[in-house]
Amino acid sequence: MFRRLWSHRGLVASLVRRQYQVRYRQSMVGIAWAILPPLATLATATLVFDKIANVQTGNDPYSIVTMAALVPWTFFASSLTSGIPSIVSSGQTLSRLPFPRAALPVGVLGISMIDLAIAASIFAIMAYTVGDGLPLTALWFPVLLVLELVLVLGVVLMASAINVFARDVKLAVPLGVQLWMFLTPVLYPLSEAPEGLRFFYLANPMTGLVESFRAVLIPPGNMPDVSLLLPTICGSIVLLVLGSWYFSAVESRFADVV
Amino acid sequence: MDIIETHSVTKNYRVGVGRARVREMVPPPFDRGLAKVFPNWWFKDTFNALEDVCLSIPSSSSVGLVGHNGAGKTTLLKVLAGVTAPTTGTVQTRGRIAGLIDAVVGFHPELTGKENISFLGSMHGFKRRDMAAKVQSISEFAEIDEMLDTPVKRYSAGMSARLGFATIAALEPEILLIDEILAVGDANFQQRCARWLDEYRTQGGTLLFVSHNLSLMRSMTQKVVWLDHGKVVQEGPTATVLAEYGRAMERRSSDAAVGGKNQRATKKLMKATGMNRWGAGGARIQEVHVGEPTNDSLTVTINYEASNIEQGYFCLGFVGEGDNEVGAAVSDSVMLREGGGTIQCEIDSLGLRSGIYFPVAAIISTDGTVQDRWRLDRAVVIERDQNLLPDGFGPVEISSEWSGGKGDQVEMPRLRSVE
Repeated sequence: MFRRLWSHRGLVASLVRRQYQVRYRQSMVGIAWAILPPLATLATATLVFDKIANVQTGNDPYSIVTMAALVPWTFFASSLTSGIPSIVSSGQTLSRLPFPRAALPVGVLGISMIDLAIAASIFAIMAYTVGDGLPLTALWFPVLLVLELVLVLGVVLMASAINVFARDVKLAVPLGVQLWMFLTPVLYPLSEAPEGLRFFYLANPMTGLVESFRAVLIPPGNMPDVSLLLPTICGSIVLLVLGSWYFSAVESRFADVV
Repeated sequence: MDIIETHSVTKNYRVGVGRARVREMVPPPFDRGLAKVFPNWWFKDTFNALEDVCLSIPSSSSVGLVGHNGAGKTTLLKVLAGVTAPTTGTVQTRGRIAGLIDAVVGFHPELTGKENISFLGSMHGFKRRDMAAKVQSISEFAEIDEMLDTPVKRYSAGMSARLGFATIAALEPEILLIDEILAVGDANFQQRCARWLDEYRTQGGTLLFVSHNLSLMRSMTQKVVWLDHGKVVQEGPTATVLAEYGRAMERRSSDAAVGGKNQRATKKLMKATGMNRWGAGGARIQEVHVGEPTNDSLTVTINYEASNIEQGYFCLGFVGEGDNEVGAAVSDSVMLREGGGTIQCEIDSLGLRSGIYFPVAAIISTDGTVQDRWRLDRAVVIERDQNLLPDGFGPVEISSEWSGGKGDQVEMPRLRSVE
């Protein structure tokens, strides 16, 4: 599957371009919509968790601690919400043109990567204004990103294929993503999570990722905690293998059902 | 190997909408197991859109696909294009395939014409630079120059169809699948498409063509495959298959007319329009015998019944493809024999171009009332050995003498020979 996808990389690039071209068309502020959502989430979270609930984040400002987690989380959430329905929403094209179907969800991930780059630049600006700059361990960022990409790709391939046959998946995604966010230490640090639920937190592949992003991005900068990342690494690889196997097993039926 | 080969292709579809498709969800190694264990559940609500289709289409040929709606023509194109996989059987194709399936290419409505051209190109493996070089010629062919930077959703149906055809044409496919595209667009554009397709074929392209327009099919293809209920009924030279197909088509519609619902509708219509078959003083056509058309001449014998009507005239009309009334031979006013009789019509020169025509016989009383009008269930097939003429010139052959050019006889290039 991936080899076929590589030979059609021009198509993936053009899918990304297509969606980017379409996205802000007929909107007034256009590209500003790429910056607004993470900032708005951050502002609201600061109000609720920092000022009202008074969540403890140690010596670092709450906004930095949260933004370091929001960057990878927003990528994860937006990839899922737009990647999972991507095959069904391209039904017209799908039933008339032969092309590797995986280009559709992968193209969506490309779009989310652009958003990620924007959110990451906002974080960098914040780190030098509100916080104490970026530590050297921030170089781990791309490594963690690749790990997250593997996880996201596995989930999206699996879920987008199932969604073709049972649209329940698409309907469940917004709710699922929302619940997942509350059970991942995004808007609060892992140290604030209830002790009794600690096991669930550690089994959640996003926990290790989000905490590792925090660790490497916030001064003084620590190496990612391998024991925390282990469920993520195993989970991502298993999901990617399963997801790409299932996707390529059923992709020839998409045009009949969609 | 031929450029397209299918071996016993069967495509099974499931009917029913609105439910989750649990059976399709099961991935390959397990689905066969489930089908074995629960065959009743597995094959419930299924039908074969294609059944045991074996085709082999040699390179640089052009082949037509005919059949009623739901015969499996579009499904076959989809299977050949690789959009969907056959349930059983194999499809092998060589070379780049491009197609207009359902007469739509899969444009994105929000993108502009130019963006869609490059998008469609990338779908077929073209680089952006390559497509950028083609934009000018595509927009000239499609005549949408001033609309290139407008989203396709603002295009008229004809414009997007033109852009679709022009883009597909620019992709230089080795195999071209076309589904009723020439049904859209104005006559001028259709002409240009037909000319382009001619050139495409002479340059060695392979064309697979679905259309209900039989005269277009006759001029564009050498071979026709006739599908019915997913099976290949007949496959062979265009003239032979289309003649058979035309007869079957007419048999089918007359069969349908016998059915209760249609008969009632016919009676109702007759009442409403003042036609009468059985009324007092009416005449009725009993039997029509149509001879084989030979050398453009045709003999038709009509047996009629008449009572309380002394005088009337007969009319023998022809209805062409697409229900177009083409023309009629009309008798002088004749004295009708009380009880019934026979009248013979000799047509020296039918004056019709190649095609399938359905005779319509009528008895009309002198006051102009139609006493009986009967469209026959047997088609007259005209086959002329003549030059290829694209669609849009009508069915009437105007007898003419041409002179000039080199010598007295103008030598026209013969593009098609009728088998």
